Amino acid sequence: MPTIEVSYKDLCNLLGKKLSIDEMREALMLAKSELDDVQDKGNDKILKIDNKDTNRPDLWSAEGIAREIRRKNGLVKYKVAKSKIKIIVDEKVSKVRPLIACAAVRNIKIDENVLSQIIQLQEKVAETFGNKRKEVAIGVYDLDKVISPIKYTSVKGNEIEFVPLEFTEKMNPKQIIENHPKGKEYAHLVKDDYPLLIDSNNDVLSMPPIINSDYSGKITTNTKNLFVECTGYDFRFLLPAINVLVTALAERGGIIEGVEIIYPDKKMITPNLTEKTASMKIESLKKIIDLDNKEILSLLKKSGYEAKIKGNKINVKYPSYRQDIMHERDIIEDIIISYGYNKIEPIPPKIATIGRQNELEIFSQNISEILVGLGLQEIMSYILTNKKNVFNKMNIEETRIVEIENIVSANWSVFRNWLLPGMLDFLSCNKHIDYPQRIFEIGDCIEIDENLETKSNDIRKLAIAITDNIVNYEQMSSILDAFFRLLGITYKLKRTEHTSFIKGRCARIFVDDEDVGVIGEIHPAVLNNWELEKPVVALEINLNLIFNKL
Amino acid sequence: MYILTAEGRKYLKEGLPEKKLVETLEKGPMKISELKNKVENFDVAIQWARKKNLIVVAQGDVELLRHWQESEEEKALQSIEEGITPDENILKVLLHRKLIEEKRETLTKKAEKLKGKEITNLTSELIITKAWKDVFLKEYNVEAVGKVIYPGKRQPYNRFLTDVRRKLVELGFIEMTGPIIEMEFWNFDALYQPQNHPSRSWTQTYTLKYPKHGFLSYRKTVEQVKQTHENGWKTGSSGWGYKWDEKKASQLMPRAHGTACSARQLAKGVDIPGKYFAMVRCFRPDVIDATHGVEFNQVEGIVIDENLTFSNLLGILKMFAKEIAGAEEVKFIPDYYPFTEPSVQLSAKHPEMGWIELAGAGIFREELTKPLGVSAPVIAWGIGIDRLAMFKLGIKDIRYLFTEKLDWLRKTKVI
Repeated sequence: MPTIEVSYKDLCNLLGKKLSIDEMREALMLAKSELDDVQDKGNDKILKIDNKDTNRPDLWSAEGIAREIRRKNGLVKYKVAKSKIKIIVDEKVSKVRPLIACAAVRNIKIDENVLSQIIQLQEKVAETFGNKRKEVAIGVYDLDKVISPIKYTSVKGNEIEFVPLEFTEKMNPKQIIENHPKGKEYAHLVKDDYPLLIDSNNDVLSMPPIINSDYSGKITTNTKNLFVECTGYDFRFLLPAINVLVTALAERGGIIEGVEIIYPDKKMITPNLTEKTASMKIESLKKIIDLDNKEILSLLKKSGYEAKIKGNKINVKYPSYRQDIMHERDIIEDIIISYGYNKIEPIPPKIATIGRQNELEIFSQNISEILVGLGLQEIMSYILTNKKNVFNKMNIEETRIVEIENIVSANWSVFRNWLLPGMLDFLSCNKHIDYPQRIFEIGDCIEIDENLETKSNDIRKLAIAITDNIVNYEQMSSILDAFFRLLGITYKLKRTEHTSFIKGRCARIFVDDEDVGVIGEIHPAVLNNWELEKPVVALEINLNLIFNKL
Repeated sequence: MYILTAEGRKYLKEGLPEKKLVETLEKGPMKISELKNKVENFDVAIQWARKKNLIVVAQGDVELLRHWQESEEEKALQSIEEGITPDENILKVLLHRKLIEEKRETLTKKAEKLKGKEITNLTSELIITKAWKDVFLKEYNVEAVGKVIYPGKRQPYNRFLTDVRRKLVELGFIEMTGPIIEMEFWNFDALYQPQNHPSRSWTQTYTLKYPKHGFLSYRKTVEQVKQTHENGWKTGSSGWGYKWDEKKASQLMPRAHGTACSARQLAKGVDIPGKYFAMVRCFRPDVIDATHGVEFNQVEGIVIDENLTFSNLLGILKMFAKEIAGAEEVKFIPDYYPFTEPSVQLSAKHPEMGWIELAGAGIFREELTKPLGVSAPVIAWGIGIDRLAMFKLGIKDIRYLFTEKLDWLRKTKVI
């Protein structure tokens, strides 16, 4: 969900009319965007716009938003003029970052607003649509400083030197990776061989996907003609990206020119702004919203399509910057948006169904009723925790457990496989609160089970803990007895040793000779680990096993 | 004066338990296990028979030493029943065996000692003997506030979730579930979110260090999903146009949204018409602050019927606004979800909170439903339940939903 900033005045200019902030807020809905914030800036306002559609990079600029809000009068067509600019793609780069798509844009008047939108769009497309420059890296250059033909090749780390953007010293690729802020940020995208764009004058344009040169890769309000390129691995990303960029510039009055790209094995000209085509069954639309044909055609026009009815179908043409349309539903949505969601009467479907809760949930609720009756306070804690809590602080050996790879915080790095650590953690946060403290939790734990399709098993467990100046085993065994008595289940306790509990004060709980849990007084060493100062008696039961016995 | 207890009266009538034991042994020695089944109150019987040297236990066999003769206890029980107090030694035995108890007249004597005194505790004796008439019951400071006690209580957020769950059942929804550790297939691929595409990073998700991959069953579904991603299969879509990787799809991850449960349910089979919901814990790698927790609960669901329309979708949302948030006024805003088209956001005017983004919804893309074997339209919705919970509980920080503050849990109102 990219958030972009645009000037309020600039957006009004692009729209061709002045909208109040409230009108703007309403209008932005047509572009699946939300006005997040408005800040004053001199005699202008900066609008922070949250764009919800991750598959519509054409909406990530003031130009694109304005184009969408204007709700075009039919299809917007863009022309591509011919140019003499050529790019020669060197065989060497084919194993590094093989593909490139480019365009030239002439006669564009770049003011501060245009400049900031170009930079912002380039960033958002490369970051969000281009997966942090991996799939799409974009360069925009001063065309007047570039001499065609341009070569797209690759070099070794010390093969060439140029001044990177915003720097004054020449550096080689290796130095850029090591010292330039952008070099460090995107270093993981390159290795040993560095992609390079270099013109006939041997002036470096850029080192994609890392950095432009300071010479031609810097655009200012004095720049009049632009050269734009995208590099990556897949035309599925590159062609939409270049189209989005150049059509946004065309909205500013730029004239788009095609560039010939000569690959070792083929030639092509980009950008290709020929309108795309699709077709939609009228019936498919009518199933979702009942509109007559005339209305459908007028709404399609309003949504920027060129449409013709042919039999039971409607054939449409739509702009090349739209890369999100792959099914008739995508067109249907545009029609409904143009119609206006709030003009449609909400009618709940008249279908009779019988609701039902999950049995384990009902069981859990019944259990909590018993426990509340026993005077216990329910708590709810996170399923995520860490190994220190689950194992070390409980004085038990580490076992296999579900572990997160891309952790945000070491505190939340594994999924709990039992509840007692969370209970002790809770008590340790409440040392100065009135005693006795009697708590319980019913929650899911995850155990490794190699035989299951997800290699893991969610197990609903129950834990109870009581702490006070003096507590004893019998307090908890009485609760356990009441618990099973109320469920009508017979159980047995068998003495056991468990390093979390005091020796001789711990038992396993058996129902039908099946081990369903553990009960005992917490070992003082464990209490020390949690910095608890009063004794704790506790139990933990596997509720899935109990549930299956009822 | 003494009277017989119920047990005393029974033995007077039927004989002491040890007498029965002796009588049973008249036929010859017997195993303990066998005797146990034949003699009532066996534990009491054997204890007294041994004490009185009537029997001997050797290697698990019980042998008779002496025949039964009328005992002192039986004689004494008979006397007491007739109103005669027997001698002190036998009285002690009978009291110990709880066969007799002191009679009320004695209680009266004790109560008499209290006559005219000021009494704090009204005792059972005072009530039975009516001696309360002759004592003064001390007056209390009845206006003093009671001592604080903490009753057993549900966790307020969990209780709220139970209420919402019940509400959804009332509205005719069946609860769905699914595993917390899920395969990317059900979290993404089955929802038509392409691999290695920005649409997949629509939500940030956790990856696992261990375990890494699951096994993909549902072979037919898997094949259809693969085809749909690659070329659109029979869904009328162009597809995403890339080579789909099963290995990637079998990768395990913590469930990032409840929609994974809907995908599983559709593949398992659904009733048509049908209404389903899931209320499940979800995980996304957010930095924790007042508006982002480590984990959160999502309430999501689906409605399936042959002739569902966009108007029905809005109708369901309006119903939720009223039933779950008490909001009469609603607004529908175009929205984006990778798996629904058309998509809509429900904005509702909560009676106290004002306009809130209450739910996201849409009609599932056909690229999602058809490969899962469903040809009828499926409306999908999700409610931002945590925000409603926060409002209901009067809290501004989302971390309170899973609070570790016992005093807060104790003092929050039960609503």
